[in-house]
Amino acid sequence: MDQVAVTAFFQTLVQGLLTGGLYALIGTGLSLIFGVMRVINFAHGDFLAIGMFITLLLFKTFNIDPYLSLLVAAPLGFGLGYFIQRFVLSRLGDRLSEGSMLATLGLGLIISNSLLLGFGAQPQSINVPYAINTFKFAGVQVSVSLLIAGLGTVLAISALNLVLYRTELGRAIRATAQNPLGAELQGVKTSNIQAIVFGVGVSFAAIAGVLLMPLLYTFPTVGENYVTKAFIVTVLGGLGNLPGAIAGGLVLGVIESLGAFYVSNNYRDAYGLIAFLLVLLLRPEGLFGKTVKRV
Amino acid sequence: MTATAPSTRSRPRALTFGNVWLSVALVAILFIYPFVFGKAMNFGISTLLFAGFAMSWNILGGWAGQTSLGHAALLGIGAYSMTLLATPERLPPFLTSPLAPWWGALIGMVIAVAVAAVWGWLTFRLQGSYFALSSIAVALVIRLVVINSNWTGGAEGLFMPDLPKFFGFDLFDRETEYWLAFGFVVLTLVITHLIRRSRMGYALQAVREDEDGARALGIDPARMKLLAFMLSAALMALGGSLYALYLQAFEPHTILELPLSIQIALLAIIGGRTTIQGPLVGALVLSIFGEVFRNVFSNANLLIYGVLILLVTLFAPQGIMGLFNRAGSKLGTAR
Amino acid sequence: MTAPTQFPELTPLPGQPVHAPSGPPILKAENITVRFGGVVAVGDISLAVRPGEILGLIGPNGAGKTTLFNALTGFVTPSGGRVTYNGRDITNMQPQARAKLGMARTFQVERPFEDLSVLENVLVAAFLKYRGTKAEDHAYAVLERVGLADRATQPAAQLNLARRRRLELAKVLALEPKVLFLDESIAGLNPPGQQEMVALIRTLAHSGLAIVMVEHIMHVIMSLSDHVICMAFGELLAEGDPHEVAAHPDVIRAYLGDDND
Repeated sequence: MDQVAVTAFFQTLVQGLLTGGLYALIGTGLSLIFGVMRVINFAHGDFLAIGMFITLLLFKTFNIDPYLSLLVAAPLGFGLGYFIQRFVLSRLGDRLSEGSMLATLGLGLIISNSLLLGFGAQPQSINVPYAINTFKFAGVQVSVSLLIAGLGTVLAISALNLVLYRTELGRAIRATAQNPLGAELQGVKTSNIQAIVFGVGVSFAAIAGVLLMPLLYTFPTVGENYVTKAFIVTVLGGLGNLPGAIAGGLVLGVIESLGAFYVSNNYRDAYGLIAFLLVLLLRPEGLFGKTVKRV
Repeated sequence: MTATAPSTRSRPRALTFGNVWLSVALVAILFIYPFVFGKAMNFGISTLLFAGFAMSWNILGGWAGQTSLGHAALLGIGAYSMTLLATPERLPPFLTSPLAPWWGALIGMVIAVAVAAVWGWLTFRLQGSYFALSSIAVALVIRLVVINSNWTGGAEGLFMPDLPKFFGFDLFDRETEYWLAFGFVVLTLVITHLIRRSRMGYALQAVREDEDGARALGIDPARMKLLAFMLSAALMALGGSLYALYLQAFEPHTILELPLSIQIALLAIIGGRTTIQGPLVGALVLSIFGEVFRNVFSNANLLIYGVLILLVTLFAPQGIMGLFNRAGSKLGTAR
Repeated sequence: MTAPTQFPELTPLPGQPVHAPSGPPILKAENITVRFGGVVAVGDISLAVRPGEILGLIGPNGAGKTTLFNALTGFVTPSGGRVTYNGRDITNMQPQARAKLGMARTFQVERPFEDLSVLENVLVAAFLKYRGTKAEDHAYAVLERVGLADRATQPAAQLNLARRRRLELAKVLALEPKVLFLDESIAGLNPPGQQEMVALIRTLAHSGLAIVMVEHIMHVIMSLSDHVICMAFGELLAEGDPHEVAAHPDVIRAYLGDDND
């Protein structure tokens, strides 16, 4: 095969994998929340937007390096998520599914429109010299900030796995996911666990927002694009299936990247949507995993 | 076991049109509006159109209980068909009469029904939030096709061409448009009342509450949901063509986007999706809210929607009308 | 613990089983098997029921009675076997189509449409055979028959258990079925409620309905059924005259537990 074509292919693939890593991070948060609470968080993209705007704000006012904003955005996201689950969503009781869908939809609207009031509608970006650098590896151009984003994703997901499988808290989370009543009987405070899980999910979205900020423009309704990506990722991987979400993110990134390069860039967003519909209709348990209970 | 003759004269009835008087009162207010607020026609027209959209949405979302977050696509089909076919060059000569734009509206309705049939047939096996997710995806795919096609005007959208007078009425006159939108609302309201009293209405409510329970009683949930979707789609498209008249120029980013779909769904849910007048009341309340706070929120008007839907899900699952009904039954006047 | 040899005393209920007229069965199931993954929930069960006959289905929890019920009424597609209705193969027919043919079922956990009134609940069913106000008249007549007419305007969500059961029955009766499937319509009711329900079911059989009923309470089945099938772990354990089945050692063992139960 032609050398140029091969390089182009790998270039596209790497680009797709790195973007996919970010999708995975967004999707993992959504999937974790679904796995434990059976809530589809429609505000997920708006939590990501919060991460972006925190970065923007800190950079513009204090000239703080975007990646340092993680130290603010991650805990703030956690606190926000914890609060929302504890004091809002938990009150929905057993009217789940539709109720929580509408409630999170409402939260999302509140967030995006508040951002609109605070920051205005015009797209904004930050300018960090090192973030727009690229380097060549085996003939493939890699953007530094995309690589950092990829690394951040790996770190965040590894940390989540450590917590889930190596700690007492993780055991409690898994127990709550499998059988909330049983966990409660074992002495797990499930309302607290659920709030922690929502906090972690939101925190992941905010982290993704921070990692995206050096790469992209932000605007108050930016979350809309990413909430659909998050849905696609989690459905591809199987809702509630964490390794599935990671794989789903990578698959989506690669599908988009290859589709845009080889088929048509105009339909970039359509490939994921079509894959999403096909999986939803033909394999609702996701591409990879075991059957997950349908809502 | 055969049907028994009616037993007593005074026995309770279930087959009624619902609270017709409330609808009559609401329609009366809408009728009087232009005579009182003749200057604020734009507000009146857009309120009416959104009320009609919410009523149309509610046939699927309320009666059949299928929360669609993709209805803007159906509205768009109406708007695009009307506008595209109103351009004389696109029509065979014998159709260029005062009726010409209305062929476009009619064709839009037919296309919307066909799209809804395929769409529903594909996705009605999904339950609850899964159906909502799929509706987002379908609508976004439709939007991408429109943006990337030339004949739809692409990302720039379309202009409504000059239209012939419609039996003496100038279609770009705000007053004419108000009465068209008024007719649209009355139509959706009448259809809802008819559903309320019909076999279809009861079948839909049964499906909404318990599909297996409905099946055991001889109701085909897939068929009923599809019927509701097709009716809902036809009305959305009709409203969409009026919306195109009102806007005169539109682009996919305003008319096919997710926020518009969400807005329509929330109007109905905040107003009360299980009631007849709920979507209409929701549209009136939210429009007035939006108008009152316009200077405060400017284009962040969906903030109110967010706050209200949160309050509704937490405290009033039956929406504003549900609150009224509850207050009413406490006073001793059951619905 | 040794298995007791005597079946516990049967509480007598008034009336006698309706003795089935001979003749061709209206519903026949042959060798029904239902598998979920690798698990056999129902294994090779056959049964037949004639108009006016009451067929009792008993067995301990998890015996597969409800699954068999679902297979007979179309809510589960059997992995093997055949169901015929008046000689017509309906094995793969949807539940709603079966309802139109004349098969009606209740659910073990009664499920009224809670947003609707009692009358409206029955009306939903009455629309299967009637239109317009005819349907409403019919629904009200059925309510009078099951003794719920005075509750017609009450929201179904407000009914107590006994009335919910009667509402379930009213809904299926409004379908004017030929075959009635009752899934534990009596268990959980207090003794007077049980008596009423038993009497009602007996009247229905007298009027020519074929009835298949799953019931947990032995003495109810014993006093109502013409024919009893006992299942355990999805398999047929014993079949025949109610008293023969009740005295069958396997049945007693299944009900009262083995040593390590």
